[in-house]
Amino acid sequence: MLSDAMVELKNVWKKYSIRDIFHRSLREDIAGIFRGNKDDLKEGEFWALKNINISLGRGECVGLYGPNGSGKTTILKLISSVTYPTKGKVTVKGRVAPLIAVGAGFHPDLTGRENIYMNGTIIGMTLKEIRERMDEIIEFSELEKFIDMSVKKYSSGMYLKLGFSIAIHSSAEILLIDEILAVSDESFQRKCIKKVKDIRSNKTMVIVSHNRALIEQIVDRIIFLEEGEIENLSHVINK
Amino acid sequence: MQIAKRIYLYRDLFRVFVWREFTIRYRQSIIGVLWAIIQPLSMMVLFTFIFSYVLKLKVADYPHTVFFYSGLLPWIFFSSSLNYSIPSLTNHYDLITKIYFPREILPLSGISVAFIDYIIASLIFALILLIYKIHITWNVLWLIPLFALLLFFTIAVSLLLSSVNVYYRDVKLATGFLIQAWFFASPVMYSIDQLNIKFKMILFLNPLTFIIENMRRCVLEGRSIVLWQFAFVGVIITIFYFLSYKFFIKTERDFADVI
Repeated sequence: MLSDAMVELKNVWKKYSIRDIFHRSLREDIAGIFRGNKDDLKEGEFWALKNINISLGRGECVGLYGPNGSGKTTILKLISSVTYPTKGKVTVKGRVAPLIAVGAGFHPDLTGRENIYMNGTIIGMTLKEIRERMDEIIEFSELEKFIDMSVKKYSSGMYLKLGFSIAIHSSAEILLIDEILAVSDESFQRKCIKKVKDIRSNKTMVIVSHNRALIEQIVDRIIFLEEGEIENLSHVINK
Repeated sequence: MQIAKRIYLYRDLFRVFVWREFTIRYRQSIIGVLWAIIQPLSMMVLFTFIFSYVLKLKVADYPHTVFFYSGLLPWIFFSSSLNYSIPSLTNHYDLITKIYFPREILPLSGISVAFIDYIIASLIFALILLIYKIHITWNVLWLIPLFALLLFFTIAVSLLLSSVNVYYRDVKLATGFLIQAWFFASPVMYSIDQLNIKFKMILFLNPLTFIIENMRRCVLEGRSIVLWQFAFVGVIITIFYFLSYKFFIKTERDFADVI
């Protein structure tokens, strides 16, 4: 396949267990180490992803679309190395900013400004980068007046606005965006979509959404997922 | 030093975590950072009261206050490190399931905050030593390698227990009991000097015994350490540290799936 792919998933399978670890016996676990065949499903296990092949080049923007539980978020987790495939290979070149959860790591007792440092470093920015972009981030969030107030007093809309503003100013080459375009009010949402379009040319992006009309506005192609399998590869959008 | 390399790449995140743990802890508190001093001081007063007036026991040849404080310093560093680090991974469930970063940053930032407290409490110790006119010799510098042992031992225990806690929450539930039992197994409110050799050997199975006893010795008594003992404990702790870090790295890959 393409050697200049920024993100490549090759024959990727991912197995999950419905059961919690507590419901497995230690004996079962230990036995599994010795004679566990990766291809077999034990009781309570299922394939979250089945033989996924995806390759994304530089500057490509792809949407993942499918019903709940079809494996969209699992793919994002694999790309960001939060979890690893049971079988197959995931190769990623460049820095990944997983905007999987807007405001992940926000601490209620810290002010908005302090949380920009917190959240920014969590998604992989350096302190220097954050300082340089601080004004831009605050301006984009439209929260100038509340930026030195602790975020426990923020409304959920303000939370999302701040989180998105930090995320979108990240310098990573690869952006993973999960459902975060569903940000608060319509005017801010439009602004976010515009921003995503502005920066997409030099980034590789994967966008997950239930809102098909919305992702069709942004992405080059949509990958349809159904029960962990790719349904119809590269549905190219005509623009 | 794999750990240093991994953290170096994420040094800004590590700095922010330490800063956050430190500021959040004292935010909305009136006396703030004074809490770092109050814990060892109040324990010192309690122990001194109990041993000098209630039990009327003589535990050392020098004032009880300095004796207890010198043991409490490393002990509180160790115990508050464990208190922070053991639940640190499970507390950050939302981050671990969503974003990659070297997971050891979480337990290590807890240890760093305990370290800041240790430094603050040590300054008070210096003041106490002045007040009691304890004669200080160059041997006090042994504190530095001894503290290095304590640090590596603390990191090893923290990494091991915090990662097991991701799988089995029993660890967190056992923490309070574990720390309490460990306290009595460490020479904080007693000295092993009066014990017979059999008990001494048993207590030396706990690396803290060597560390706390010697920290006291080189500060209060101005004596040096026994080199072969230091080397022996050092080797044990190094091996333990590498094994537990290896275990952490190995289990880390599954954290997001099992947490």
